[in-house]
Amino acid sequence: MMIAITRWMLNVLVSLSLVLPLSGCWNSRELNDLSIVSGIGIDKADDKDEYRVTFQVVNPTSTATSTGASTGQPPITIYTSTDRTIFGALRKTSRKSSRQLFFAHTQLVVIGEALARSGINDIFDIFERSHELRLNSAILVSRNSNAASILKVLIPVESLPAIGLVKKSRNTSRLWGENREVNIFETIKGITGESELVLSGIQLTGDPEEGKKKTNLEQTEVKTLTMMKGLAVFKDGKLVDWMEGPAARGTQWVLNQLKTTTINIDSGEQKESVAVDVTFSKTKVAIELRQGLPVFHIRISEEGSLSETKAPVDFSKRDVILDLEKEMAKETQEEVKQAIQTAQRFGSDIFGFADQLKRTKPNVWKGVENDWDTLFAKGQADIQVEAYIRSTGMRIKSYLIKPE
Amino acid sequence: MSAGKEVRSLTMKKEMISANQLFAMIILFELGTALVVPIGLESGHAVWLSILLALPGGVVLYLVFADLHHQNPDMIISGYTQKILGKLIGWPLSLLYIPVFMFNGSRNLREAGDLLLASSYDQTPVFVINAMMVVAVMYILNKGIEVFARTAGIYIFVVLFMGAICSFVVIVSGLIDLENLFPLHAKDWRDAFQSAYPSIWIFPFGELVCLTTILPQINRSYLVKKTGVIAVILSGLLLAFTHAIEMSVLGENIYARAAFPMFTTVTQVNLANFVQRLDALVMLTLIIGVFFKMTIYCYAAIAVTSDLFHVKEQRKLVVPVTVVILFSSFISAENYPVHLDEGRVFMKFILPVLCAYIPILLFIVQHVRKRFHLFR
Repeated sequence: MMIAITRWMLNVLVSLSLVLPLSGCWNSRELNDLSIVSGIGIDKADDKDEYRVTFQVVNPTSTATSTGASTGQPPITIYTSTDRTIFGALRKTSRKSSRQLFFAHTQLVVIGEALARSGINDIFDIFERSHELRLNSAILVSRNSNAASILKVLIPVESLPAIGLVKKSRNTSRLWGENREVNIFETIKGITGESELVLSGIQLTGDPEEGKKKTNLEQTEVKTLTMMKGLAVFKDGKLVDWMEGPAARGTQWVLNQLKTTTINIDSGEQKESVAVDVTFSKTKVAIELRQGLPVFHIRISEEGSLSETKAPVDFSKRDVILDLEKEMAKETQEEVKQAIQTAQRFGSDIFGFADQLKRTKPNVWKGVENDWDTLFAKGQADIQVEAYIRSTGMRIKSYLIKPE
Repeated sequence: MSAGKEVRSLTMKKEMISANQLFAMIILFELGTALVVPIGLESGHAVWLSILLALPGGVVLYLVFADLHHQNPDMIISGYTQKILGKLIGWPLSLLYIPVFMFNGSRNLREAGDLLLASSYDQTPVFVINAMMVVAVMYILNKGIEVFARTAGIYIFVVLFMGAICSFVVIVSGLIDLENLFPLHAKDWRDAFQSAYPSIWIFPFGELVCLTTILPQINRSYLVKKTGVIAVILSGLLLAFTHAIEMSVLGENIYARAAFPMFTTVTQVNLANFVQRLDALVMLTLIIGVFFKMTIYCYAAIAVTSDLFHVKEQRKLVVPVTVVILFSSFISAENYPVHLDEGRVFMKFILPVLCAYIPILLFIVQHVRKRFHLFR
């Protein structure tokens, strides 16, 4: 009987002690000991060879949706640290922050223009190596300002600026097509590949000091605003120049990244009077070497629908639509040509042609590897576009056409 | 007390494993770590091709094991090595298997521990993580190989289910870029072949040599060949498929540099901003895979030891063997790069001998001796 009891007690004791490690909290970090970082800005420090890293940290009480919890604080707080390495700056921030920074929800990385101009190839290692930072955070280059001031601006409608900026970039990439949502993963692929990198730019308009305040949002038209602007073209990891408007959109076309966009095409005499919504576009690229110079064969097929006209064109006629399709193809071809010419002027192969050539014709690539930049700049583009208009919307004839 | 005795006498009888459980064990063993760590780096983007090229070799090797088993149905590898080559050569040769099995088991443990450490348990000592897993292995080996086989029969569904979810999600979220897999040039085929033989042929296919210690327990011996071949082929196809997905998402450069490509692949998933961060599934896959692989290695080491040294009660060896594996898992290499470096040497010079050359030699000698009636 005695033996039975002791054995029974022993079993209970063992079971209880086994329960303890089951919670698995050796590595635990409690939510109220963490500061969630939503955005990171990386700049060059002014006078030293250091990074100035800006962290946009979520302020949990003021982002809470329940009323009454609001403390009047802004939804985010900014910490800045400088160090030779990004990780160093990150840890140094502990001197300013009451909680350990937590990076698993970082949505956005902004790179300052000055840093971009002096080279960005060496800043991404931590994003790959760290288990907290995510490779699918979006990446933007701040234009005419440093990254810090972009992250400091509160933006309307969205409560967290970093998420707002990501959404902004996604929105315009999807609808207007001059920019593209690029994440760190693709950036690293771009750096390690043979071709050059291209990232979206973000610009600050208005007074950056005003943008930090909540009062900036307490008006119908915010005075300080961030907006997506242009593409940053890199060469050897350094920002060469910005690409704008049609050339930027042409770049997305070549990269087969265009989702939706709108082009205004000419109808007869009236310039740019018919708006076409391009809803589908597919690009195929083939490269060959002709007498030592590369020829880029670009085949685009696109589909769109007529969205608006301010000229009295009769969409019910087949040949009118055919003419418009031709115009549409011409317009696309023009933008693509501009994109390639601009890139050739910079001597920066941002279209992934080098990677394409290396992949499909490794033997040819071996021969041109060393002077690809100059060859690319001299290369010829052979662009062919097939455009189709699939729909005319809710009306066929416009009211501008007088009935006979 | 009498009830306890009865249970003990029941477990003393020969343990039986069904063919389906063998199937599950082979698949879990093959997928174990090979799914998560990069394999066959020399083959560049054609890694999936080299797995497919190594597969026939793996099947042939399995047929050798199965035939040796068929010829000597009640013996494990150390038994028939002594029978075929004579005790004088066979005994020391079989002895070699013990440290190799244990070292390989400890390497698997190390890989799982390091993934956990690198991906989320940055503050936890590696000893604690590895010890947890070793305790589980000890427990199941103490219960016996039959219990282990039944566990495998259950977990095969868990692993396949998780694998299906992961691949489905990766494909659906549009991460696959077939440009990373094609085109294949003549050079790629050469590279693929070179990394297939011997490297992928040995790891993971050659490692099946451990199963020779389990084959005598299969209740329907005639199914060993058929079941095993199907399992090897299926696991080879699954491996090739998974690595093709990893390669197509990551591209050659990142795949080659990643410590755990599968982990990086799955972290990329973002389906409608809602299905994301499926890293836990990868960790589970690795932990389950390593658990089975390591247990089979431990069991193989125990079985060979007890056979060579005539230890009647195999269970007595469980604790010593697993404790040695636990300690060698983190003593053998001070960090992960060193571990990988050791692995290259180990895989180049030692594993092929024990996993392929000796069994093939045994196979040849067996048939020569049988043909000329040289068995006494």
